[in-house]
Amino acid sequence: MDGHVVVSNLEKVYQSGASQTKAIEDLSFEAAAGEFLSVVGPSGCGKSTLLYLVAGFLERTQGTISIDDVEVEGPGTDRGVVFQDYALFPWRTVMGNVKYGLEESGVGDEEAEATAQRYIDMMDLDGFEDTYPKELSGGMKQRVALARTLAYDPKILLMDEPFGALDQPLREALQDHLIDIWSDLEKTVLFITHDVEEAVYLSERVMIMTRHPGTKKSILDIDLDRSLDREAIVTSDAFADLKNEVWRSLREETEPEVSL
Amino acid sequence: MAGATAERSELVPDGALGSAISFVIEWFPLVIVTALWELASGWAVAESILPPPSVVLVRTFDMLATGSVLPELLLSVYRVAWGLGLSIAVGVLLGIGMARSDSVENFFEVFLAMLYPIPKTALVPLALLWFGRGTQTAVLIIFLACLLPIILNSYNAARTVDQNLIWSAQMMGTSDRKILWKIVIPDTIPEIVTGIRQAIPIAFIALTGAELIGATDGMGAIIRSAGQLGIYPRMFAAIVLISAMAFIALRGFDRLERRVFVWT
Repeated sequence: MDGHVVVSNLEKVYQSGASQTKAIEDLSFEAAAGEFLSVVGPSGCGKSTLLYLVAGFLERTQGTISIDDVEVEGPGTDRGVVFQDYALFPWRTVMGNVKYGLEESGVGDEEAEATAQRYIDMMDLDGFEDTYPKELSGGMKQRVALARTLAYDPKILLMDEPFGALDQPLREALQDHLIDIWSDLEKTVLFITHDVEEAVYLSERVMIMTRHPGTKKSILDIDLDRSLDREAIVTSDAFADLKNEVWRSLREETEPEVSL
Repeated sequence: MAGATAERSELVPDGALGSAISFVIEWFPLVIVTALWELASGWAVAESILPPPSVVLVRTFDMLATGSVLPELLLSVYRVAWGLGLSIAVGVLLGIGMARSDSVENFFEVFLAMLYPIPKTALVPLALLWFGRGTQTAVLIIFLACLLPIILNSYNAARTVDQNLIWSAQMMGTSDRKILWKIVIPDTIPEIVTGIRQAIPIAFIALTGAELIGATDGMGAIIRSAGQLGIYPRMFAAIVLISAMAFIALRGFDRLERRVFVWT
């Protein structure tokens, strides 16, 4: 399986006129092929910056990012990105959105449509193929965005707080859907979130980042019995312990901010 | 406007009866003003200088029925179509070009800043010098008048294209060169449409101005010659027809837009 991400000595400095802001400092970590790794951290810790660097949207100041031993130089189809605001193309239907990546890779129209249909079905969107994004709810839009990203079969999913704009029941439904898909598709997932419960529930490992400038504080193995259903997992002591551990670690980083 | 529409929809029942009532409500002010005009003419103001609407309307229908005005009307529509069409083609390209390239913006900015405050009809004498009386002069003036709203709307839209859309497309293998056609232009369409909607009435204003001074034919020329000859019903009829053309063009454009760009 492919999709091995190695980040080493990463540094990102934003330059704006004469002022410099260091967003990420000396960050090194790995995500094994097929691993589900969440990144949590206080707001402004550079976790989204990290994702955009791995995506190749931003240029790094120092350090290296490689995927299967090839250095990242800009965006590419080996990775797929899912944004919190969905970033669907409003002028394309659900089908048009989902098959976009396939069209761009030069797949014939018939094959593109058939493949796109598979992912539309996988996301329970059948019947909405000819609907435009403006007519969809937030949860449906995010399912379209996921289908669009999965359809062109990237090795790595980069997800930037994808469920952050959704309400609790919807968020949980999509989390479960994501876990189901992930276990079948064998893709590496880098999942940015500020929701501790979400990170622990979804991931195999959780990386906690320090406050500004962001770097790795610790990485925690999440050892939960995935054969259980959501209720059994979230009500278990093991889940509570892990959640508390991540929460405490995060709390140390946010504490100075919350002095009222 | 939006508030008035909301109130109205609460008062008006749905269905055919509702749309009939909406129609009456929409046109009622015009009916009142026309009635006042009818009363004023010949009473407060001499009929010779303010012909009553009944006379103007009869004259308008007469000009249409005999077909005498049709060649002039079609000529004016033809000029508007060319002027507006050219301004859309050039304005969209220039607006997006300026938004996406600093050197393009730098080059054209000063000209647009200078062109902006000039009443475009002030350029008619100059255009007459170059092109003489007729279609080319009118097209040039309409083109210049419509250019700015279209440039401004497409420029603002292309500046604010959602970065995540561009990133998503790049991630899926769209080259930087193709981003313009596949993402930037489609994403700016709603604002381009807004720019065209703003330009349609401006096109008719520019048309009338250009034809008044710079043409021997077309609706503007009818206004001028009828005015000079003192045939005021004919003059008013020409004004009514220009207004009607602009109204139909705007309504037609809105309908077309709703059909073509169903996703907006």
